[in-house]
Amino acid sequence: MPIIEINHVSKEYRLGTLTSLKDSARNIARRLRRQPLTKRKPFEALHDIAFTIDQGEVVGIIGNNGAGKSTLLKLLANVTTPTSGTIAVRGKVAPLIEVGAGLVPDLTGRENVFLNATILGISKADIARKFDEIVGFSELEDFIDTPIKRYSSGMKIRLAFAIATSVDAEILIIDEVLAVGDLAFQRKCFERMENLIKGRGSTVLIVSHNIRQIERMCSRVILLDQGKVAADGRPLEIADLFYRRSNEKIESDHKKAQQGKVHKYSSGEIELASVELLNEQNQSIDSIPSGGALRVRVKFNVNKTLQRPEIVVGTHTTDFFYLSASSTALIEDRPDLDVGSHEVEYIVPSFPLVAGTYCVRFAIFDQYQRKIFTGETLKIFTVLPNSLEIRDAPMRRLYLPTQWRLDGVPHSSPMPASAEMAAS
Amino acid sequence: MFKIARNLYEYRELVAELTRKDITVRYKQAYLGIAWAILRPLSLMLIFTLVKSFVGIDSGTIPYPILTFAALMPWVFFQDATTEGIGSVVKNAPLVRKIYFPREIFPLTAVTTKLVELGISSLILAALMLWYQMAPTVHFLWIPLIILYTLLVSMTISLMGAAVNVSYRDVGAALPIVISLLMYASPVIYPLQLVRDKLVTQQAAGEWSDLLYTIYTLNPLAGIIDSFQNVVLRGLPPDFSSMLPGMVLTAILLPLSYRFFKLEEAYFADVI
Repeated sequence: MPIIEINHVSKEYRLGTLTSLKDSARNIARRLRRQPLTKRKPFEALHDIAFTIDQGEVVGIIGNNGAGKSTLLKLLANVTTPTSGTIAVRGKVAPLIEVGAGLVPDLTGRENVFLNATILGISKADIARKFDEIVGFSELEDFIDTPIKRYSSGMKIRLAFAIATSVDAEILIIDEVLAVGDLAFQRKCFERMENLIKGRGSTVLIVSHNIRQIERMCSRVILLDQGKVAADGRPLEIADLFYRRSNEKIESDHKKAQQGKVHKYSSGEIELASVELLNEQNQSIDSIPSGGALRVRVKFNVNKTLQRPEIVVGTHTTDFFYLSASSTALIEDRPDLDVGSHEVEYIVPSFPLVAGTYCVRFAIFDQYQRKIFTGETLKIFTVLPNSLEIRDAPMRRLYLPTQWRLDGVPHSSPMPASAEMAAS
Repeated sequence: MFKIARNLYEYRELVAELTRKDITVRYKQAYLGIAWAILRPLSLMLIFTLVKSFVGIDSGTIPYPILTFAALMPWVFFQDATTEGIGSVVKNAPLVRKIYFPREIFPLTAVTTKLVELGISSLILAALMLWYQMAPTVHFLWIPLIILYTLLVSMTISLMGAAVNVSYRDVGAALPIVISLLMYASPVIYPLQLVRDKLVTQQAAGEWSDLLYTIYTLNPLAGIIDSFQNVVLRGLPPDFSSMLPGMVLTAILLPLSYRFFKLEEAYFADVI
């Protein structure tokens, strides 16, 4: 029998301020006269969620801000009730929702240990037994009889974490509390969390934005998106999916932010008509695979004949870090541009940048380097991650095919299918 | 009923810890510490005694200062407990938002912590009794029951008030004023005997007199204060005729108030 059963649960909050006394009175009057009531718009934090969790599972819950993670934990901790649907929790729940919710500034560390532990549902005998260990873990032996209002914030958090993680419960609910304090203490926290999870066989629910940590600790991950279960399964797969979705969101946000922010200068001698990205079939596209070919076509009208102008096409990031620029300056026999419409194509056989959002810039100078036209963010495009890349180190800008020699044996890192296609 | 009791038993350690916290926090960093607890009933007693010397209130055979102090003890307990009880849920908002335990624990601990002050002012009462050479009688055994009843009356208002206060903070501001006004409708400054003489014996309001007296005693504090004075000072058992209307009212309202609180409880975390 599953230890947690969530059955078609929805949770609505009403938006806006609380009903004023005037509105309440008016609504009562309306109800008496059987007239429709004025209602505030509801906000559905969770929509028809359904899943079960078995004894001993360690489940990570991930999702963007506002996906409904914390609402879900609150429902499980019985802090609030669902608008519809049912939740069955079989066992004692220890919520570590935000460390230190119950610390009282005026009490000493010792008094707070007892108070906070009792609030978390630890019996007095257990606290007394674990007291030294809690104090030892938090490294506060010398300060335990000082009121905690005189503690530094790090000391407070250490104490709270130590108390919270000494709970024995069938179900642990952890919300974003994992790493606190300085680096050394953070490591201690991780170890303690992992021991807590692996050692006891208790069922654990973790909400975190630290996906790597979730991947490492959990046996199952649930991805929430706008109040719905978007995916539920093995940590690696779900984490990959989440990364992908996050990137997409970042990109679309960037695009929105960049609109109307085009930096352009023109002397009037030319007019830009269009900037496009093309695939091999000459179709206009918005994204290329990582390591794939980049083909930019720029169309413009020339109002006055230009003698051997220099054409520059390049790319930059959304925050105007210039990545590449190629110029026709080195082409000795570059043509003059007559009055009329022209078309320039710029092709990079394998664009070596990692997944992300990039922009095209374009410039024309006359033969004496006088600026005729420059424009940035003329076209925004996306480099899509490939499946291999997600598993790889993220600390980089360039995507380069690599060869390795491990103990003298040559290995080459696998080329993603798309890149191979582009390379061939 | 059974469930309530089981809940309270299950969370007894929490109630004890929270009570201890409330008390410690209240008197930490105050040099006079718990002495503040007795200052209010004591100063009120002195003021009333002063006023009495101008107005002239018949206190019967009992000296007025001790009579009014014995009235102030349950009164101040009730007033403080209820005021604290109404604000208790809002005051603990961080806990309400994070951790579940039965929410009635908040008003309950708020109300019970006030027993400490009551205990301390009973020392003053003992000193006054010594001064006026009054000996305790067997009727002292009624005291715990009277206090328990006062606690239930306070809980009746606290549960309802605390729940409404979560949505409408007006309650937290208004109820203390209402309660302090209630003091004048309770036999604190004057003994209940005066009211009884006027209405029951002299029938001062004509045919309405008995009804008016019943309405007056619907205020549970009327019966509580009179009975407290009876068992402590007069050496008499509580006067149940003056307690009955208030008891009936409490017996009806307390379950309703509790039900209301439990219904609202589910939304505390959402609106607090």
